[in-house]
Amino acid sequence: MRDPEKSSELEETAPPGLPSFQEIRRILEERVEGLRLEFIPNPAAPDQSSFCVPTEFALETARILRDDPRFALDFCSNVTGVDWLDQTVEETILHRETTDEGERTIKEIVRRRRPGFLEAVYHLYSMRARRGPLVIRQRTANRIDRVRVASLTPIWRSAEFQEREVYDLFGVRFEGHPDLRRILMWDEFKDYPMRKDYVEPDDYEYEPTPQGEAAAKARRHYPYGGAR
Amino acid sequence: MVEEGLRNELSRQNIFLTSIQELYNWGRRNSLWPLNFGLACCAIEMIAASMARFDIARFGAEVFRPSPRQADLMIVAGTVTKKMAPMVVRLYNQMPEPKYVIAMGACAISGGPFKRGYNVLKGIDRYIPVDVYIPGCPPRPEALLHGLITLQRKIAGERLTGPERPRHLRELEPSEYPIPAYGPYDLDPPKNTELWHPKPFVRDA
Amino acid sequence: MEEHPYLFLAVLAGTALVFCLTPLLIARAWAAVFNAAKPGEVKQQVYECGVEAKGDSWVRFHVGYYRYAIVFLVLDVEALFLLPFAVAFGGLSWGASVVILLFLLLAVEGLVWAWKRGALEWA
Ligand code: SF4
Repeated sequence: MRDPEKSSELEETAPPGLPSFQEIRRILEERVEGLRLEFIPNPAAPDQSSFCVPTEFALETARILRDDPRFALDFCSNVTGVDWLDQTVEETILHRETTDEGERTIKEIVRRRRPGFLEAVYHLYSMRARRGPLVIRQRTANRIDRVRVASLTPIWRSAEFQEREVYDLFGVRFEGHPDLRRILMWDEFKDYPMRKDYVEPDDYEYEPTPQGEAAAKARRHYPYGGAR
Repeated sequence: MVEEGLRNELSRQNIFLTSIQELYNWGRRNSLWPLNFGLACCAIEMIAASMARFDIARFGAEVFRPSPRQADLMIVAGTVTKKMAPMVVRLYNQMPEPKYVIAMGACAISGGPFKRGYNVLKGIDRYIPVDVYIPGCPPRPEALLHGLITLQRKIAGERLTGPERPRHLRELEPSEYPIPAYGPYDLDPPKNTELWHPKPFVRDA
Repeated sequence: MEEHPYLFLAVLAGTALVFCLTPLLIARAWAAVFNAAKPGEVKQQVYECGVEAKGDSWVRFHVGYYRYAIVFLVLDVEALFLLPFAVAFGGLSWGASVVILLFLLLAVEGLVWAWKRGALEWA
């Protein structure tokens, strides 16, 4: 659940060694025309809030992040994927209302369906200035056919294999990647195993301590399943 | 054929008798040359077993051969991923007879910690016949040595003639097993049904 | 023996032949009695690393490899001469020392020449 009050508060924090998120947003949006960054707060323990960069501006934004001395993020340490299924999200909206007793704030909780999408997450560090990470994300339009994002391999060479891995396991297509092939699974493989709706092959029969789904599976092969 | 008791008696008098069968098995079991390859963490224990502290050379198996043509024993040490499985089977096929397989570690036996995963083969015995299984994650070098000794015992008991003779002496037994192909979702076939017969699993209620 | 001074050659050759042929014959006999031969398609493949061979084994090597090999060979043979020189070093006369140094100089000169010509660069 996203709390708008909390969100703007979090935006005032800063990634280690870097300007605050607000400042970063200001610099980037100033330099890249038309760019609108979405701030994604993360109030949980890792405390790594991030920006979602629209795909069409990703390459340009990344170049600034690498080359601008205020960031100098010259090292992309990690690229990973996230699969978001369709889900219902709750949002809190604050209204200000004037009544007879004066002004008061009303919290309204709105439920809406959010269609699923895939995400590529980049962790950026600066080796020169010894700071980071700044986390940026790119999102695909959906999970099925519009799964393209921009490849950042032209900016950070270290992203090459990891983007291949994200492609291999999540099915995100990186536009502009020099060599987008499967890297872990074999070339003939059809599915994307790290997606949440992936169905693995029924290729083992016995499990000593099955639970939940594995128990049901074991029961298909043996009358008692595994151990009961 | 000299009887066992008489032979023992004679050997006490420093007269040694043997049979071709025994000589043959004795020679083979004391010079098992393993194929030099490792697949995952278990291989580290295999390497440790070949080093000075555990010294697999005491059992005549120190000559790790880098070519399947010169190897007698395949120690499948580690996780067999589905991508790797065809190579392992092909290497097994290229070994000359007689050949033996030790499945070392939980992964090679059943997929081990990755059993519920999508990319690990759930036991190498689905494609090639395994002689000795060594459980553990990883098995200690002593366990590997014990597995080796178990295999040596097995070889010592092999007969040259008769219906119980081992696989490599029987004409109709294949020396090559089908190599699985990469399928769109799994290996194709997922197991060699002629070779792999899981024990019916019966549990008292 | 006196009449046939070369008889021992024949005897040696015969022994050598027996030594070679006996194991082969035993193996053959063994295979015929106990052990069925089991050739196979995969077993007979040329390449033996688990992956399937692609393409031809008649590939061209980089010419730099050849130059490397030649230079290596020359210095290798030179090392062969250096060994007896080092062993006999203490008892050598002046003349012998000068000769071996001359020889060394020639070899090093060759190396320098090859180096200058770029034979040691891999490109
Ligand atoms: S059994 Fe354990 S130690 Fe051995 S390869 Fe598998 S995970 Fe590694």
